Amino acid sequence: MRAETQLTALVLLTYASAVLIGHGSASSGNVPRPRGVSLTKTALYQPQADSSWTCLDGSKKIPFVQINDNYCDCVDGSDEPGTPACSNGQFHCNNLGHKPLEIPSSRVDDGICDCCDGSDEENSRCINTCIELGAAEALKLKSQAELHKRGAEKRQEMITRGRQLKSDRQARRAELDRRIKEQEALKAEKEELKRNAEALETEAVEAFKEQQRELDADTAQAEEEPLQMRQEASLSFVRYDTNKDGFVEVTELMVDMNLDRDRNGVVEVEEAKYFLDERDRVDLDAFVTLAWPRIKPLKMLAEGLFKPPQIPEAHHDENLPATEDVSTQDPLPSEDAEIEPASEDERADDEEIEDDHYDDEEPDVGVGEATPETTTPPNYDPETQRLIEQANAARIAFDEVERQIREIEHEIKEIDEQTNKDYGAHEEWAVLDGECYNFEDREYVYNLCPFDRAAQKPRNGGSETTLGRWDQWIGEGNNKYTKQKYAHGAACWNGPQRSAIIHISCALEPRITAVSEPNRCEYYYEFETPAACDSEAFAANAENLHDEL
Amino acid sequence: MRSAVAILLTFGALFSYSVGVDPNNFKTCEQSSFCKRSRKVQSSGSKYALVEGSLNTYSDSLTAELVNKENNHKFSLKLEALVGSSFRLQIDEKEPLRPRYRVEHALKGQPELGRIRERSEMNGELTVIAGNTKAVLFADPFRIDFYEGDVLAVSVNAKNWMYFEHLRQKTSAPAEAPEGGEQPAAEAQQDDEPGTWEENFKSHHDAKPNGPEAVALDFSFPAAEVLFGIPEHADSFILKSTSGTDPYRLYNLDVFEYVVDSKMALYGSVPVLYGHGPQRTAGVYWQNAAETWVDISSSETNVVSSLVNFVSGSRKSTPPAAHFMSESGIIDAFILLGPKPMDAFKQYSALTGTHELPQLFALAYHQCRWNYNDEKDVTSVSAKFDEYNMPMDTMWLDIEYTDNKKYFTWDSFKFPEPLTMIKNLTELGRHLVIIIDPHIKRDSGYFFHNDCTERGYYVKTRDGNDYEGWCWPGAARYPDFFNPVVRDYYGSQYLLSNFKTVTSDVMIWNDMNEPSVFNGPEVTAPKDLVHFGNWEHRDVHNLYAHMHLMGTFDGLLKRDPNQRPFILTRGHFAGSQRFAAIWTGDNMADWTHMQHSIKMCLSEAVAGFSFCGADIGGFFGNPDSELIERWYQTGAFLPFFRAHAHIDTKRREPWLFPERTRLIIKNALVKRYSYLPLWYTAFYELEREGAPVIRPLLAHYPQDKDAYSIDNSLLVQDRLLVRPVMQQGVNKVDVYFPVKDDKKTGDYWYDVDTYQRHDRVGHESVPVDEYKIPVFQRGGSIVPKKERLRRAATLMLHDPYTLIVCLDREGKASGTLFVDDEKSYAYRSGSFIYVKYDFANNQLTNSFIGKPNYKSEAWIERIVIAGLGRLPSGATITVNGVTQQLEVSQRDQAVVVRKPGVKMDVDFALKLNY
Repeated sequence: MRAETQLTALVLLTYASAVLIGHGSASSGNVPRPRGVSLTKTALYQPQADSSWTCLDGSKKIPFVQINDNYCDCVDGSDEPGTPACSNGQFHCNNLGHKPLEIPSSRVDDGICDCCDGSDEENSRCINTCIELGAAEALKLKSQAELHKRGAEKRQEMITRGRQLKSDRQARRAELDRRIKEQEALKAEKEELKRNAEALETEAVEAFKEQQRELDADTAQAEEEPLQMRQEASLSFVRYDTNKDGFVEVTELMVDMNLDRDRNGVVEVEEAKYFLDERDRVDLDAFVTLAWPRIKPLKMLAEGLFKPPQIPEAHHDENLPATEDVSTQDPLPSEDAEIEPASEDERADDEEIEDDHYDDEEPDVGVGEATPETTTPPNYDPETQRLIEQANAARIAFDEVERQIREIEHEIKEIDEQTNKDYGAHEEWAVLDGECYNFEDREYVYNLCPFDRAAQKPRNGGSETTLGRWDQWIGEGNNKYTKQKYAHGAACWNGPQRSAIIHISCALEPRITAVSEPNRCEYYYEFETPAACDSEAFAANAENLHDEL
Repeated sequence: MRSAVAILLTFGALFSYSVGVDPNNFKTCEQSSFCKRSRKVQSSGSKYALVEGSLNTYSDSLTAELVNKENNHKFSLKLEALVGSSFRLQIDEKEPLRPRYRVEHALKGQPELGRIRERSEMNGELTVIAGNTKAVLFADPFRIDFYEGDVLAVSVNAKNWMYFEHLRQKTSAPAEAPEGGEQPAAEAQQDDEPGTWEENFKSHHDAKPNGPEAVALDFSFPAAEVLFGIPEHADSFILKSTSGTDPYRLYNLDVFEYVVDSKMALYGSVPVLYGHGPQRTAGVYWQNAAETWVDISSSETNVVSSLVNFVSGSRKSTPPAAHFMSESGIIDAFILLGPKPMDAFKQYSALTGTHELPQLFALAYHQCRWNYNDEKDVTSVSAKFDEYNMPMDTMWLDIEYTDNKKYFTWDSFKFPEPLTMIKNLTELGRHLVIIIDPHIKRDSGYFFHNDCTERGYYVKTRDGNDYEGWCWPGAARYPDFFNPVVRDYYGSQYLLSNFKTVTSDVMIWNDMNEPSVFNGPEVTAPKDLVHFGNWEHRDVHNLYAHMHLMGTFDGLLKRDPNQRPFILTRGHFAGSQRFAAIWTGDNMADWTHMQHSIKMCLSEAVAGFSFCGADIGGFFGNPDSELIERWYQTGAFLPFFRAHAHIDTKRREPWLFPERTRLIIKNALVKRYSYLPLWYTAFYELEREGAPVIRPLLAHYPQDKDAYSIDNSLLVQDRLLVRPVMQQGVNKVDVYFPVKDDKKTGDYWYDVDTYQRHDRVGHESVPVDEYKIPVFQRGGSIVPKKERLRRAATLMLHDPYTLIVCLDREGKASGTLFVDDEKSYAYRSGSFIYVKYDFANNQLTNSFIGKPNYKSEAWIERIVIAGLGRLPSGATITVNGVTQQLEVSQRDQAVVVRKPGVKMDVDFALKLNY
């Protein structure tokens, strides 16, 4: 009957997959078990006396024939190890001759051969490739083992050298500790000498200055009086404003030869403009605030009122509380060094007359040149001069000790930095610090200096870009020493700071084998070195694999 | 895609992610001289009248003359009745100086003309009746009222805002009065206005040799309360009043970092607009491809009008209206008279067509990024999806795969063996999509460029030279796809005999086809360029992408006549849906852009573009975990489901986020894949009936005024209500369950995860956790699903179906399923199974629409029934009179019938027993 045929078809479809039980026996040749179940789990797939079976999570009891009937009954998917019915299920490929494999149920009977034995595809067009793959894998393992073994010899050398470096470092560190103690003691000694010499020097210089001060007292007082300044300025304004139009023009200044700063006999427009704050003309207010402060020093020079300043007592009291500083600075005898303190003093003058343009715009040139003959040190009496020279010698000696200490401290810092770097469990990575490696691709030359930095430079010229500076090891778990991170490189336009990840594998010679930029501004290096050739770890891994086989 | 870098280079402007588009780079209405002129009519009104005695009526149409009483210029009017409650109104100059452009290729064919049944004239009103609709023409002032049944649905020129600039000679001395006084002083004055005969914007000059030639017309919707349509805008679904703002603009533009809540033009222009009220829905398709602005007057009631209404008992206020203003061309308007929303949508589909049934993979998940760097990158991303057992169907390659942005070539360094790479994907059931943009690198070593140059295939400048602009390749030229010979040439490049480094499984992404020109006015082509047929770019601008797509589609069809092409486009016009899916362009990684993905795709869907999606995660910027989780969930319920990202963003493949995020994303992917049979059936029904795949609530709940403005939810057909979580840090969302009738009752809605039933209407607060996508199946519907996980949708072909039956108040439900080979055109010759399932009286039966004529290995593995009063003791299935018992069990708040096991083409009856 036709109807029966239909129903048979229906029933066949419904229960066809029950036949699948035992499918595994054909390929694995041992214990019969449902399709997709591993040998170790065979015991879990046995019917109860009443031909029932309980989902592995215990959630439900189903007839045993519903295992692999292509309908998902169990919440944990355990009833369909050999069909794609449960989205959360697992399928076990035996893959005899190669590694067994657990694949998600979603890959069962999808037309794609995922297991090398083809067991995941029921109507399989899949060819069993396990023997070939297993052999190839074994060969690969063997050659890798060989590589690791040979690499491990080199690694051993690196370990030896690394340990040597470490002990050298420790020895050197101890040496430096000792030396810095010595230098600290020496420093105290020199400091004492310096202090004594300077006290004598100060006393003598003070005495000398006392005389000078009396000479300059009047002038100094006058300079301190702003009201007087304004009167002076107004008077000058009237004098300069020859056409009486209420403005002082460039041309009106050009007649005053005092303003010929370059001493070429002519006051040029530029020269004159300088005094007018680069304007063509100024009114009274602008003249008072901007122009006069520039003109006045030259006027004073011309009138002999202005003594460019070796004598610091004006601010000795007001501005500089630390006597030592003044005494170390002021009497510097060298002619070359004069300009700096000179302009320093002029700034003080400027402050007094409330002008901050003067020094900013023309720091040295104008005044510096106008004042050479007056900036020579005062003619000290021989005794004072001798004390100054002694003090200078003490200072030099002290500075020298300080310099020594700084150098030692610097070296200590470097050593400590190295000590803080993680050179691996056996110091095998230490010898890479200080080395650099290059890799060229189509556009760039990539550079890696392990434990220091990674960089990139365009091949067709252009400047180098730092991709990152040594940050840390970032391998996971037991594989800590397989990945390095270099961070805080140059910032990207519209993006983050560059960084680089170095993936490290074993090889006989150190080299970079590839560089890519998988993420914008995040670089990825493949780096090989014998330091990564740990044949024991490799052998242990291989042993695990072998067990599974 | 993204013009970020180039715009920066071009304008030297400084951008940051937070700033968004600089609106100053785009014109306002005031800066677009025709818009300014057309809009001015809104204050003065115009004076058009039918010319007495000029009327001729035919069996399917009527013609008449129209005169502008202010200058006596004459126009010819043609009104045609179309099959399916629609009219077409065309107005052109009676004797134009030159022909005016008429849009081609947008309609899917010649509209089928209906018959005018009757005509009567009374008091200067001419009435023509066609089917259940009629048009009433008023002579002076000119107006046409369109009725569906007895309800006035659309009134044309009721506001007298018609405006038609006739072509004219440029007068060298505008003050001089022309002969016969044909050009009154006012017009001469207007001709003299800046922008009339030439126009400048920023540093760009538009020569405007044809002078003013704008057309404008107003459409009122007396039976409507809201207007919607005219995509593409990043704005609410319901159109806002433009009083006091610029009009909505339709001008295909590559807008860098577009902002939301804006009426600014975007990549696509679909000039169809609907008016909707409780009793009637009507639409207007304004067929014009020139720059177009649309002013919206909403029916806001003010105090005075409400008072008047109260006293008079009449309609509340002036009806909502739209004023379409286009720079050139003719008036060519289709009036779609509904009466229901779905009727109006189908009437529009009948004119401009639909996307055809896509291959199944195209509805599955797409993984894209600018850029997957090389072959290894592509292969390893694909492998990662397998590692995490997450389904993925298609990998995408953006512009960097090419040899220096020369399309139809590969970067031989990064992609030395594309065929191997493609094979690696297709062997796993996956596909590859590569980008092919319309700009062609000016490079004398590039065959495509040389061919186009030698054969004159490029768009020309006014002086007849090949136009050159800047785009990704640097100096680039633009093929004139309006020339059929150019389209053929271009299409033939896709043939495997020409493009040897791809296979017919590689599909195409057409981007930058607005066209995007980095150094052009408003980042597009100058309007005074010249196209095939001597038309100005001004006339055809919004069609450029469309013509590009025609070439691509044709090429792919010829490449493999038995594989349905898949194309993604950014630029689009009315009718482009026949060729391509769209996405909402270069959005940003923020919550408001995600929210707008639904608003924008709903507007697109009612305008023909059901196949719509947004870049998941946001193109610009870096989404945090929560944003990308929610975005995957939202994207899983939009038709086009693709993740994409800008080259400057951090990599964001799902496994790069914390495990929890990865699992949430996987959950969303799995959910999407489980609903593929529904999406697939919905797309079949789109092709078959013109019914949008995703719909606003008002499509099925037209009387519920509170539902009109709901655009944070969408319907998948009439079966699912989707209200994704689109706010940060919430543990509940407000779901609106719409009202079905005037008795304030609604449908039952069943939570698809728990089958919990919601039977109240109005807003309801629904708790959500991070995995939750609030989706509800309508009581009364049956949804086909496939609940088995595969690594790609193509591998699910033979997998069994699950039917989800959700019962209505009468204990009934029904739903359809379409089954075929998911790839070829065999369904067009009948090789398919189209089945309707009905549940009533505790029994599920099936019936076939057409003969089931496809041999599917699939079968029904499970039937889930929600809404039963009590748990049945079992079920029996009867096939051809033979009965078999089935096990029944409880799953959440539903009943599961275990393993009916019937093939898809077999008649059966399944009965629940108590």
